[in-house]
Amino acid sequence: MEASARADDFIPAGLAALGIEADEVDLAVMAALHQLFWPAILELLALDTERLAPEPFPDLSKAPR
Amino acid sequence: MSVELDIGLRAQAAAIAAGEMDAGELLDATLERIEQRNPALNAVVETFPERSREMLAAAADGPLRGVPVVIKDEWPLPWRAQRFGAAELMAPTAPGESGPYRALRDAGAVVVGVGNMHELGAGSTGSVSFYGAAHNPWDTDRCPGGSSSGPAASVAGRLVAGAVGADGLGSVRFPAAYCGLTGLKPTFGRSAMEGHHMAAITTLIVSGPLCADAADCRLLGSVLFGEELRGGDAAGLRIGVVREPVSEDVTPEVGEACDAAIESLRAETGGEVREISLPDLDAATVAAILIINSESMSGATPERLNHLDPELSPIAKGSLKYRMLLPTAATVQATRVRTMMRRRLATLFDEVDVIAWPTVPAPAPPLEAPLVELPSGTLTADQANVRGAALANLTGIPSISMPVGLSGGGLPIALQLQGAWGRDELLLDAAEALERANGRRWVESLPPLAQGEPAST
Repeated sequence: MEASARADDFIPAGLAALGIEADEVDLAVMAALHQLFWPAILELLALDTERLAPEPFPDLSKAPR
Repeated sequence: MSVELDIGLRAQAAAIAAGEMDAGELLDATLERIEQRNPALNAVVETFPERSREMLAAAADGPLRGVPVVIKDEWPLPWRAQRFGAAELMAPTAPGESGPYRALRDAGAVVVGVGNMHELGAGSTGSVSFYGAAHNPWDTDRCPGGSSSGPAASVAGRLVAGAVGADGLGSVRFPAAYCGLTGLKPTFGRSAMEGHHMAAITTLIVSGPLCADAADCRLLGSVLFGEELRGGDAAGLRIGVVREPVSEDVTPEVGEACDAAIESLRAETGGEVREISLPDLDAATVAAILIINSESMSGATPERLNHLDPELSPIAKGSLKYRMLLPTAATVQATRVRTMMRRRLATLFDEVDVIAWPTVPAPAPPLEAPLVELPSGTLTADQANVRGAALANLTGIPSISMPVGLSGGGLPIALQLQGAWGRDELLLDAAEALERANGRRWVESLPPLAQGEPAST
Protein backbone atom coordinates (compact mmCIF):
# COMPACT_ATOMS: atom_id res chain seq x y z
CA MET A 1 0.00 0.00 0.00
CA GLU A 2 1.41 3.39 -0.88
CA ALA A 3 2.00 5.98 1.78
CA SER A 4 -0.41 8.39 0.14
CA ALA A 5 -3.16 5.78 0.34
CA ARG A 6 -2.39 5.05 3.96
CA ALA A 7 -2.78 8.73 4.72
CA ASP A 8 -6.46 8.42 3.79
CA ASP A 9 -6.98 6.18 6.80
CA PHE A 10 -4.17 7.08 9.15
CA ILE A 11 -4.62 10.84 9.29
CA PRO A 12 -8.41 11.11 9.71
CA ALA A 13 -8.40 8.24 12.21
CA GLY A 14 -5.56 9.77 14.22
CA LEU A 15 -7.13 13.20 14.24
CA ALA A 16 -10.50 11.80 15.26
CA ALA A 17 -8.98 9.73 18.07
CA LEU A 18 -7.25 12.80 19.50
CA GLY A 19 -10.11 15.22 18.83
CA ILE A 20 -7.99 17.43 16.59
CA GLU A 21 -9.79 19.47 13.98
CA ALA A 22 -8.30 19.94 10.52
CA ASP A 23 -9.39 21.87 7.47
CA GLU A 24 -8.62 20.99 3.87
CA VAL A 25 -5.32 22.83 3.88
CA ASP A 26 -4.22 21.08 7.08
CA LEU A 27 -5.15 17.73 5.56
CA ALA A 28 -3.25 18.46 2.35
CA VAL A 29 -0.11 19.43 4.29
CA MET A 30 -0.42 16.38 6.53
CA ALA A 31 -0.87 14.08 3.54
CA ALA A 32 2.25 15.50 1.92
CA LEU A 33 4.25 15.05 5.11
CA HIS A 34 2.91 11.54 5.51
CA GLN A 35 3.95 10.63 1.99
CA LEU A 36 7.41 11.97 2.74
CA PHE A 37 8.01 10.55 6.21
CA TRP A 38 5.95 7.43 6.59
CA PRO A 39 8.01 5.14 4.36
CA ALA A 40 11.15 6.30 6.17
CA ILE A 41 9.50 5.71 9.54
CA LEU A 42 8.52 2.19 8.50
CA GLU A 43 12.09 1.54 7.40
CA LEU A 44 13.32 2.83 10.73
CA LEU A 45 10.95 0.55 12.60
CA ALA A 46 12.11 -2.40 10.50
CA LEU A 47 15.73 -1.85 11.44
CA ASP A 48 16.99 -4.66 13.65
CA THR A 49 18.08 -3.09 16.92
CA GLU A 50 17.08 -5.99 19.16
CA ARG A 51 20.63 -6.94 20.07
CA LEU A 52 21.70 -3.37 20.70
CA ALA A 53 22.62 -2.80 24.32
CA PRO A 54 20.91 0.36 25.53
CA GLU A 55 22.84 3.48 26.47
CA PRO A 56 21.05 4.58 29.62
CA PHE A 57 20.94 8.35 30.18
CA PRO A 58 23.45 9.14 27.43
CA ASP A 59 25.68 12.15 27.93
CA LEU A 60 25.51 13.62 24.44
CA SER A 61 28.48 15.86 25.11
CA LYS A 62 30.74 12.84 25.30
CA ALA A 63 31.47 9.63 23.46
CA PRO A 64 29.29 6.71 24.55
CA ARG A 65 30.48 4.87 27.62
CA MET B 1 39.50 57.59 13.92
CA SER B 2 37.91 55.52 11.17
CA VAL B 3 35.16 52.98 11.52
CA GLU B 4 35.60 49.74 9.61
CA LEU B 5 32.47 47.67 9.11
CA ASP B 6 33.91 45.06 6.78
CA ILE B 7 37.03 43.92 8.61
CA GLY B 8 35.64 41.01 10.59
CA LEU B 9 34.86 40.34 14.21
CA ARG B 10 38.33 39.93 15.71
CA ALA B 11 39.67 42.91 13.77
CA GLN B 12 36.85 45.10 15.06
CA ALA B 13 37.46 43.86 18.60
CA ALA B 14 41.20 44.43 18.28
CA ALA B 15 40.78 47.92 16.82
CA ILE B 16 38.48 48.96 19.65
CA ALA B 17 40.78 47.44 22.27
CA ALA B 18 43.75 49.28 20.76
CA GLY B 19 41.87 52.58 20.76
CA GLU B 20 41.98 52.72 16.97
CA MET B 21 38.22 52.55 16.53
CA ASP B 22 35.50 54.23 18.56
CA ALA B 23 32.86 51.72 19.65
CA GLY B 24 30.13 54.36 19.71
CA GLU B 25 30.88 55.32 16.12
CA LEU B 26 30.97 51.67 15.17
CA LEU B 27 27.53 51.14 16.69
CA ASP B 28 26.12 54.15 14.86
CA ALA B 29 27.67 53.02 11.58
CA THR B 30 26.30 49.51 12.09
CA LEU B 31 22.79 50.81 12.70
CA GLU B 32 23.11 52.94 9.58
CA ARG B 33 24.34 49.94 7.58
CA ILE B 34 21.36 47.91 8.79
CA GLU B 35 19.04 50.72 7.72
CA GLN B 36 20.65 50.79 4.27
CA ARG B 37 20.97 47.11 3.49
CA ASN B 38 18.34 45.35 5.55
CA PRO B 39 15.37 46.28 3.34
CA ALA B 40 16.85 44.01 0.66
CA LEU B 41 17.64 41.21 3.11
CA ASN B 42 15.03 41.22 5.90
CA ALA B 43 17.82 39.72 7.98
CA VAL B 44 17.31 41.85 11.08
CA VAL B 45 13.73 41.91 12.34
CA GLU B 46 14.23 44.38 15.16
CA THR B 47 16.79 46.89 16.32
CA PHE B 48 16.70 48.75 19.65
CA PRO B 49 19.29 51.53 19.47
CA GLU B 50 18.72 52.74 23.00
CA ARG B 51 19.15 49.26 24.46
CA SER B 52 22.27 48.77 22.34
CA ARG B 53 23.70 52.08 23.55
CA GLU B 54 22.98 51.05 27.12
CA MET B 55 24.83 47.78 26.54
CA LEU B 56 27.75 49.70 25.08
CA ALA B 57 27.83 52.15 27.98
CA ALA B 58 28.01 49.22 30.40
CA ALA B 59 30.20 47.03 28.20
CA ALA B 60 32.52 44.74 30.10
CA ASP B 61 36.20 44.80 29.23
CA GLY B 62 35.94 41.45 27.51
CA PRO B 63 37.09 39.95 24.21
CA LEU B 64 34.22 41.53 22.25
CA ARG B 65 34.09 44.89 23.99
CA GLY B 66 32.04 47.27 21.89
CA VAL B 67 31.53 44.89 18.96
CA PRO B 68 27.98 44.81 17.50
CA VAL B 69 26.43 41.39 16.98
CA VAL B 70 23.07 39.99 15.93
CA ILE B 71 21.28 37.26 17.88
CA LYS B 72 18.74 34.87 16.41
CA ASP B 73 15.06 35.23 17.32
CA GLU B 74 15.43 32.05 19.32
CA TRP B 75 16.48 33.43 22.71
CA PRO B 76 14.95 36.00 24.94
CA LEU B 77 16.64 39.32 25.63
CA PRO B 78 15.96 41.22 28.85
CA TRP B 79 13.68 43.53 26.89
CA ARG B 80 12.22 41.10 24.37
CA ALA B 81 10.79 37.57 24.27
CA GLN B 82 11.79 35.36 21.37
CA ARG B 83 9.16 34.66 18.71
CA PHE B 84 11.00 31.73 17.09
CA GLY B 85 10.04 33.20 13.73
CA ALA B 86 6.44 32.27 14.39
CA ALA B 87 3.08 33.70 15.36
CA GLU B 88 2.80 31.10 18.10
CA LEU B 89 5.03 28.68 19.98
CA MET B 90 4.02 25.57 21.86
CA ALA B 91 6.14 26.69 24.83
CA PRO B 92 5.67 29.87 26.86
CA THR B 93 8.23 32.65 26.36
CA ALA B 94 9.06 35.86 28.20
CA PRO B 95 11.78 38.50 28.15
CA GLY B 96 14.85 37.48 30.11
CA GLU B 97 18.58 36.93 30.20
CA SER B 98 19.32 33.96 27.98
CA GLY B 99 22.64 32.18 28.15
CA PRO B 100 23.84 33.54 24.81
CA TYR B 101 22.78 37.07 25.76
CA ARG B 102 24.62 36.81 29.08
CA ALA B 103 27.70 35.41 27.37
CA LEU B 104 27.70 38.26 24.85
CA ARG B 105 27.12 40.90 27.52
CA ASP B 106 29.86 39.52 29.74
CA ALA B 107 32.23 39.59 26.77
CA GLY B 108 31.42 43.27 26.22
CA ALA B 109 29.52 42.72 22.97
CA VAL B 110 26.62 44.92 21.92
CA VAL B 111 23.47 43.19 20.73
CA VAL B 112 22.42 45.42 17.87
CA GLY B 113 19.52 43.45 16.47
CA VAL B 114 17.47 40.27 16.36
CA GLY B 115 17.98 37.98 13.41
CA ASN B 116 15.13 36.56 11.35
CA MET B 117 14.63 32.80 11.28
CA HIS B 118 12.65 30.08 9.57
CA GLU B 119 9.28 29.66 11.26
CA LEU B 120 9.54 27.46 14.38
CA GLY B 121 13.07 26.56 13.33
CA ALA B 122 11.49 23.98 11.04
CA GLY B 123 13.18 24.57 7.72
CA SER B 124 16.57 24.70 6.06
CA THR B 125 15.79 27.58 3.69
CA GLY B 126 14.61 30.65 5.61
CA SER B 127 11.81 31.00 3.09
CA VAL B 128 8.99 30.97 5.67
CA SER B 129 8.87 33.28 8.67
CA PHE B 130 6.42 35.30 10.71
CA TYR B 131 8.50 38.31 9.61
CA GLY B 132 8.57 37.32 5.96
CA ALA B 133 11.41 35.48 4.25
CA ALA B 134 15.00 36.58 4.72
CA HIS B 135 17.02 36.98 1.51
CA ASN B 136 20.46 35.76 0.50
CA PRO B 137 23.00 38.57 -0.02
CA TRP B 138 24.56 36.58 -2.87
CA ASP B 139 21.27 36.71 -4.75
CA THR B 140 18.29 38.22 -3.02
CA ASP B 141 15.91 35.98 -4.95
CA ARG B 142 17.55 32.97 -3.31
CA CYS B 143 17.14 31.32 0.08
CA PRO B 144 19.61 32.43 2.74
CA GLY B 145 19.31 29.06 4.49
CA GLY B 146 17.63 28.27 7.75
CA SER B 147 16.67 28.21 10.28
CA SER B 148 19.30 30.83 11.29
CA SER B 149 18.50 32.81 8.15
CA GLY B 150 18.77 36.31 9.57
CA PRO B 151 22.02 35.82 11.49
CA ALA B 152 23.66 34.43 8.35
CA ALA B 153 22.30 37.03 5.96
CA SER B 154 23.30 39.81 8.36
CA VAL B 155 26.91 38.61 8.48
CA ALA B 156 27.15 37.81 4.77
CA GLY B 157 25.66 41.22 3.95
CA ARG B 158 28.25 42.74 6.32
CA LEU B 159 25.60 44.31 8.52
CA VAL B 160 27.57 42.87 11.43
CA ALA B 161 30.71 40.78 11.71
CA GLY B 162 29.29 38.05 13.88
CA ALA B 163 25.96 36.53 14.80
CA VAL B 164 24.63 33.87 17.12
CA GLY B 165 22.53 31.15 15.54
CA ALA B 166 21.15 27.85 16.76
CA ASP B 167 21.48 24.38 15.29
CA GLY B 168 18.96 21.64 16.05
CA LEU B 169 19.06 19.90 12.69
CA GLY B 170 21.61 21.87 10.66
CA SER B 171 20.29 25.35 11.34
CA VAL B 172 23.70 27.01 11.69
CA ARG B 173 25.37 25.00 8.94
CA PHE B 174 22.73 25.38 6.20
CA PRO B 175 22.67 29.20 6.25
CA ALA B 176 26.45 29.28 6.62
CA ALA B 177 26.64 27.18 3.45
CA TYR B 178 24.12 29.17 1.46
CA CYS B 179 25.61 32.52 2.51
CA GLY B 180 29.31 31.67 2.15
CA LEU B 181 30.12 31.85 5.86
CA THR B 182 31.80 29.69 8.44
CA GLY B 183 29.38 28.24 10.97
CA LEU B 184 30.10 26.01 13.94
CA LYS B 185 27.64 23.52 15.41
CA PRO B 186 29.26 22.88 18.78
CA THR B 187 29.39 19.61 20.67
CA PHE B 188 26.05 19.23 22.44
CA GLY B 189 26.10 21.02 25.78
CA ARG B 190 29.30 23.03 25.28
CA SER B 191 27.72 26.34 24.23
CA ALA B 192 25.30 28.57 26.12
CA MET B 193 21.68 27.44 25.90
CA GLU B 194 20.00 28.72 29.05
CA GLY B 195 16.81 30.64 28.45
CA HIS B 196 15.96 28.81 25.25
CA HIS B 197 12.32 27.74 25.46
CA MET B 198 13.42 24.13 24.86
CA ALA B 199 16.63 24.24 26.92
CA ALA B 200 15.35 21.77 29.49
CA ILE B 201 13.98 19.39 26.89
CA THR B 202 16.18 19.39 23.82
CA THR B 203 18.84 16.81 23.21
CA LEU B 204 19.74 18.26 19.81
CA ILE B 205 19.79 22.06 19.79
CA VAL B 206 22.94 24.10 20.45
CA SER B 207 23.86 27.76 20.03
CA GLY B 208 26.61 28.43 17.54
CA PRO B 209 28.56 31.24 15.87
CA LEU B 210 28.21 32.43 12.28
CA CYS B 211 31.10 34.54 11.02
CA ALA B 212 33.11 35.21 7.89
CA ASP B 213 35.94 32.87 8.82
CA ALA B 214 37.08 30.26 11.30
CA ALA B 215 39.13 32.60 13.50
CA ASP B 216 36.11 34.83 14.02
CA CYS B 217 34.04 31.73 14.81
CA ARG B 218 36.72 30.75 17.31
CA LEU B 219 36.40 34.14 19.01
CA LEU B 220 32.60 34.20 19.12
CA GLY B 221 32.52 30.49 19.91
CA SER B 222 34.84 31.03 22.88
CA VAL B 223 32.36 33.58 24.20
CA LEU B 224 29.41 31.19 23.77
CA PHE B 225 31.36 28.28 25.27
CA GLY B 226 32.59 30.36 28.21
CA GLU B 227 36.09 29.05 27.63
CA GLU B 228 38.87 29.81 25.19
CA LEU B 229 38.81 27.60 22.13
CA ARG B 230 42.56 27.40 21.77
CA GLY B 231 44.11 27.30 18.36
CA GLY B 232 46.09 24.18 17.59
CA ASP B 233 47.35 22.50 14.57
CA ALA B 234 45.61 20.05 12.35
CA ALA B 235 48.86 18.42 11.25
CA GLY B 236 48.48 14.89 9.99
CA LEU B 237 44.71 15.24 9.77
CA ARG B 238 43.00 11.94 9.02
CA ILE B 239 39.99 12.77 6.87
CA GLY B 240 37.22 10.22 6.48
CA VAL B 241 35.01 10.25 3.40
CA VAL B 242 31.98 8.11 2.70
CA ARG B 243 30.52 6.81 -0.52
CA GLU B 244 26.90 7.50 0.35
CA PRO B 245 24.20 9.76 -1.14
CA VAL B 246 25.22 12.47 1.30
CA SER B 247 28.47 12.90 -0.61
CA GLU B 248 27.50 11.51 -4.01
CA ASP B 249 23.94 12.68 -4.65
CA VAL B 250 25.10 16.26 -5.06
CA THR B 251 25.38 18.61 -8.01
CA PRO B 252 28.57 18.16 -10.04
CA GLU B 253 29.82 21.61 -9.01
CA VAL B 254 29.33 20.84 -5.33
CA GLY B 255 30.99 17.44 -5.67
CA GLU B 256 34.02 18.83 -7.50
CA ALA B 257 34.51 21.79 -5.16
CA CYS B 258 34.24 19.61 -2.05
CA ASP B 259 36.55 16.92 -3.44
CA ALA B 260 39.11 19.60 -4.30
CA ALA B 261 38.79 21.14 -0.85
CA ILE B 262 39.29 17.77 0.85
CA GLU B 263 42.43 17.21 -1.21
CA SER B 264 43.68 20.72 -0.37
CA LEU B 265 43.05 20.10 3.30
CA ARG B 266 44.91 16.80 3.14
CA ALA B 267 47.87 18.44 1.42
CA GLU B 268 47.94 21.45 3.75
CA THR B 269 47.89 19.30 6.88
CA GLY B 270 50.13 16.56 5.54
CA GLY B 271 47.31 14.21 6.38
CA GLU B 272 45.49 11.44 4.64
CA VAL B 273 42.07 10.69 3.19
CA ARG B 274 40.48 7.38 4.12
CA GLU B 275 37.29 5.94 2.74
CA ILE B 276 35.11 4.86 5.65
CA SER B 277 31.83 3.02 6.00
CA LEU B 278 28.96 4.71 7.79
CA PRO B 279 25.76 2.82 7.03
CA ASP B 280 22.21 3.73 8.09
CA LEU B 281 22.62 7.48 7.58
CA ASP B 282 19.02 7.61 6.35
CA ALA B 283 17.85 6.00 9.56
CA ALA B 284 19.92 8.50 11.55
CA THR B 285 18.22 11.34 9.70
CA VAL B 286 14.71 10.08 10.41
CA ALA B 287 15.68 9.37 14.00
CA ALA B 288 16.86 12.95 14.50
CA ILE B 289 13.68 14.33 12.93
CA LEU B 290 11.49 12.17 15.15
CA ILE B 291 13.34 13.13 18.30
CA ILE B 292 13.28 16.87 17.61
CA ASN B 293 9.63 16.64 16.58
CA SER B 294 8.68 14.96 19.83
CA GLU B 295 10.77 17.35 21.93
CA SER B 296 9.27 20.38 20.19
CA MET B 297 5.73 19.18 20.93
CA SER B 298 6.11 19.61 24.66
CA GLY B 299 3.16 21.75 25.67
CA ALA B 300 1.05 20.79 22.67
CA THR B 301 -2.43 19.48 23.35
CA PRO B 302 -5.34 18.75 21.02
CA GLU B 303 -7.07 21.78 22.50
CA ARG B 304 -4.14 24.05 21.63
CA LEU B 305 -3.87 22.59 18.17
CA ASN B 306 -7.55 23.36 17.62
CA HIS B 307 -6.91 27.02 18.36
CA LEU B 308 -3.64 27.77 16.59
CA ASP B 309 -2.84 31.35 15.76
CA PRO B 310 -4.25 32.04 12.28
CA GLU B 311 -1.01 33.80 11.39
CA LEU B 312 0.96 30.55 11.61
CA SER B 313 1.79 29.33 8.11
CA PRO B 314 -0.36 26.53 6.68
CA ILE B 315 2.74 24.33 6.65
CA ALA B 316 3.35 24.91 10.35
CA LYS B 317 -0.27 24.23 11.25
CA GLY B 318 -0.41 21.00 9.29
CA SER B 319 3.00 19.95 10.53
CA LEU B 320 2.16 20.49 14.20
CA LYS B 321 -1.00 18.41 13.83
CA TYR B 322 0.83 15.67 11.95
CA ARG B 323 3.52 15.47 14.62
CA MET B 324 0.83 14.58 17.18
CA LEU B 325 0.07 11.44 15.23
CA LEU B 326 3.55 9.97 15.03
CA PRO B 327 3.84 6.64 16.85
CA THR B 328 5.76 6.53 20.09
CA ALA B 329 7.38 3.26 18.99
CA ALA B 330 9.13 5.15 16.21
CA THR B 331 10.57 7.67 18.66
CA VAL B 332 11.75 4.86 20.92
CA GLN B 333 13.38 3.22 17.92
CA ALA B 334 14.94 6.59 17.09
CA THR B 335 16.69 6.63 20.45
CA ARG B 336 18.06 3.15 19.74
CA VAL B 337 19.36 4.35 16.39
CA ARG B 338 20.98 7.23 18.23
CA THR B 339 22.83 4.76 20.44
CA MET B 340 23.84 2.69 17.42
CA MET B 341 25.20 5.71 15.54
CA ARG B 342 27.02 7.09 18.58
CA ARG B 343 28.84 3.77 19.00
CA ARG B 344 29.68 3.59 15.31
CA LEU B 345 31.07 7.11 15.39
CA ALA B 346 33.09 6.42 18.51
CA THR B 347 34.75 3.54 16.68
CA LEU B 348 35.23 5.58 13.50
CA PHE B 349 36.88 8.43 15.37
CA ASP B 350 39.62 6.01 16.38
CA GLU B 351 40.41 5.73 12.67
CA VAL B 352 39.86 9.28 11.45
CA ASP B 353 39.92 12.76 12.98
CA VAL B 354 37.17 14.28 10.87
CA ILE B 355 34.44 13.10 8.53
CA ALA B 356 33.98 15.31 5.48
CA TRP B 357 31.07 15.73 3.08
CA PRO B 358 29.25 18.62 1.41
CA THR B 359 27.21 20.69 3.84
CA VAL B 360 24.36 20.93 1.35
CA PRO B 361 24.07 19.06 -1.95
CA ALA B 362 23.28 22.13 -4.06
CA PRO B 363 23.69 25.88 -3.77
CA ALA B 364 20.89 28.10 -2.49
CA PRO B 365 17.61 27.48 -4.35
CA PRO B 366 15.12 30.22 -5.29
CA LEU B 367 12.94 31.53 -2.47
CA GLU B 368 9.92 31.13 -4.68
CA ALA B 369 10.47 27.38 -5.14
CA PRO B 370 13.06 25.90 -2.75
CA LEU B 371 13.77 22.80 -4.80
CA VAL B 372 17.12 21.31 -5.80
CA GLU B 373 18.02 19.25 -8.85
CA LEU B 374 20.22 16.32 -7.86
CA PRO B 375 21.39 13.24 -9.73
CA SER B 376 18.60 11.31 -7.96
CA GLY B 377 15.95 13.80 -9.12
CA THR B 378 14.19 16.90 -7.87
CA LEU B 379 13.90 17.18 -4.10
CA THR B 380 12.78 19.88 -1.72
CA ALA B 381 15.81 21.62 -0.27
CA ASP B 382 14.71 20.50 3.20
CA GLN B 383 14.66 16.84 2.16
CA ALA B 384 18.03 17.08 0.51
CA ASN B 385 19.79 19.18 3.14
CA VAL B 386 18.79 17.39 6.31
CA ARG B 387 20.48 14.12 5.38
CA GLY B 388 23.89 15.77 5.66
CA ALA B 389 23.24 17.52 8.93
CA ALA B 390 21.18 15.31 11.20
CA LEU B 391 23.93 12.93 12.27
CA ALA B 392 25.78 15.59 14.28
CA ASN B 393 22.65 16.65 16.15
CA LEU B 394 21.51 13.08 16.76
CA THR B 395 24.82 11.99 18.23
CA GLY B 396 26.04 15.22 19.84
CA ILE B 397 29.26 15.58 17.82
CA PRO B 398 30.52 18.99 16.62
CA SER B 399 30.46 20.02 13.01
CA ILE B 400 31.62 22.99 10.98
CA SER B 401 30.63 24.35 7.59
CA MET B 402 33.03 26.44 5.56
CA PRO B 403 32.93 27.96 2.08
CA VAL B 404 34.96 26.14 -0.54
CA GLY B 405 33.88 27.65 -3.84
CA LEU B 406 31.32 29.44 -5.91
CA SER B 407 28.95 27.85 -8.39
CA GLY B 408 28.76 28.97 -11.99
CA GLY B 409 25.80 31.05 -10.90
CA GLY B 410 27.93 32.82 -8.31
CA LEU B 411 26.49 31.06 -5.25
CA PRO B 412 28.56 29.69 -2.36
CA ILE B 413 29.45 25.99 -2.06
CA ALA B 414 30.35 24.56 1.33
CA LEU B 415 32.14 21.64 2.91
CA GLN B 416 31.23 20.19 6.28
CA LEU B 417 33.63 18.58 8.73
CA GLN B 418 32.44 16.55 11.70
CA GLY B 419 34.66 15.60 14.61
CA ALA B 420 34.52 13.58 17.79
CA TRP B 421 32.82 14.88 20.91
CA GLY B 422 34.67 17.85 22.37
CA ARG B 423 36.93 18.32 19.36
CA ASP B 424 35.36 21.62 18.29
CA GLU B 425 38.80 23.20 18.42
CA LEU B 426 40.15 20.68 15.92
CA LEU B 427 37.36 21.57 13.49
CA LEU B 428 38.32 25.24 13.75
CA ASP B 429 42.00 24.31 13.26
CA ALA B 430 41.08 22.30 10.16
CA ALA B 431 38.95 25.13 8.77
CA GLU B 432 41.85 27.53 9.25
CA ALA B 433 44.17 25.08 7.52
CA LEU B 434 41.81 24.96 4.57
CA GLU B 435 41.69 28.77 4.47
CA ARG B 436 45.49 28.80 4.28
CA ALA B 437 45.42 26.20 1.55
CA ASN B 438 43.11 28.22 -0.67
CA GLY B 439 44.62 31.58 0.16
CA ARG B 440 41.47 32.64 2.06
CA ARG B 441 39.86 33.08 -1.33
CA TRP B 442 36.38 31.96 -0.29
CA VAL B 443 36.16 33.46 3.17
CA GLU B 444 37.13 36.82 1.73
CA SER B 445 34.68 36.69 -1.18
CA LEU B 446 32.00 39.31 -0.82
CA PRO B 447 28.44 38.93 -2.11
CA PRO B 448 27.27 41.55 -4.61
CA LEU B 449 25.11 43.22 -1.99
CA ALA B 450 28.15 43.84 0.21
CA GLN B 451 30.25 45.29 -2.61
CA GLY B 452 30.12 48.71 -4.17
CA GLU B 453 30.40 50.70 -1.00
CA PRO B 454 33.62 51.96 0.52
CA ALA B 455 34.92 49.59 3.17
CA SER B 456 35.13 52.40 5.67
CA THR B 457 32.55 55.00 6.52
